[in-house]
Amino acid sequence: MDLDSIGILAQAASDEATAKGLRAIALGVGAGLGTVGPGVGVGYIFGKVIESVTRQPEMRDEITSIQWLGFALTEAIVFYAFIFGLIAFFLSA
Amino acid sequence: MNKRVAIGLGVLTPMIFLILLYVIFGSEGQNTEYKPQNEFQLDDWIPIHLGSLNLSVNKAVLYLVLAAGLTIGSMLYVARRMKQRPNRVQTAVESAYQLMRDNIAGGNMDAAMAKKWFPFIGTLFLFIWWSNMIGYIPLPTNTHEKFDLFGAKIPSFALYAATANIAVPLTLTLVVWFAYHFEGIRAKGPIGYLKSWVPAGVEGPAAGPIFVIEVISHFVRIISLSVRLFANILAGHLLILFMAGGLVVLLGLAALGPLTLLMGVAFFLFEVGLVATLQAFIFATLTAIYLGGAVAEEH
Repeated sequence: MDLDSIGILAQAASDEATAKGLRAIALGVGAGLGTVGPGVGVGYIFGKVIESVTRQPEMRDEITSIQWLGFALTEAIVFYAFIFGLIAFFLSA
Repeated sequence: MNKRVAIGLGVLTPMIFLILLYVIFGSEGQNTEYKPQNEFQLDDWIPIHLGSLNLSVNKAVLYLVLAAGLTIGSMLYVARRMKQRPNRVQTAVESAYQLMRDNIAGGNMDAAMAKKWFPFIGTLFLFIWWSNMIGYIPLPTNTHEKFDLFGAKIPSFALYAATANIAVPLTLTLVVWFAYHFEGIRAKGPIGYLKSWVPAGVEGPAAGPIFVIEVISHFVRIISLSVRLFANILAGHLLILFMAGGLVVLLGLAALGPLTLLMGVAFFLFEVGLVATLQAFIFATLTAIYLGGAVAEEH
């Protein structure tokens, strides 16, 4: 797919309805696909926590503290994707 | 009755109930009058304009003042009533204090830095925590839709959080960003600080691209730190807004109401119970990590 096709797609959004539709797709696909990575990431964090607490139950409190830090940092990526989707939706007029 | 029948009925009955609701009440068609973004619109309550600078008192200003007042007031109140045998409130505040001092500040910075920056980090944590929490208490702030109470027109109750506006987290982030760069320059001198961005043990030509990446990552920290807090709270409010009624109104499907309302309550509990505190903790912890990293020795 060469770069000319992007130009053709951009010209296709010449009327209001198509532009609205394309914006909706941008928001939906962008924000939606953006949840795939963090979904894997959050699951991985908690899986590792389960493993390490199983190995060393006495470290539970320390690991829980790191777990929440890791969870929030990974979860934030979802919101970056959401914000990018919103930027594409609202600021592309 | 056996278990399978019970489960089957348990799933089928609400479904039939919702379908019956739809059949009875029908759909009113899509609603274009209700605009969810009006919930986050800031009207000037007391207009104060300095040229093109809008310093008006609006809903966000009220929430900021409330959050600041609660931060200061609550801690002063507890501090003045401390006893040898703590009651539950004092115990809770003491454990929060221990969390801020030992876990957030002490766990991420060396002892001298932790002692110096603990007041700032503690205040940051508490201010963001209160700011997030009061966002989940309905307050009469909706001046567009007023309702009648014993003859007086009172603004409708609405949910709004000051941190749901990008300005508030961005300001806090900029304070933190300039603070940690200033600390780094103070500890290592300007050239030494810039040199510390490239990890030790990197050979000559490789240092260049690595330095560029480090510069980019420092600037991206402004966006990531502010957007993390902003988007978490905004998305939480939007979820509650849409689930607890927004979706039903926009689609005109009253029958969907009971289902989405349950989800709305679940999201509300999730936000209040986890996200509000977690985001305050994360902001404070990352601040401590950035401050600690700026003055840390090479390893």
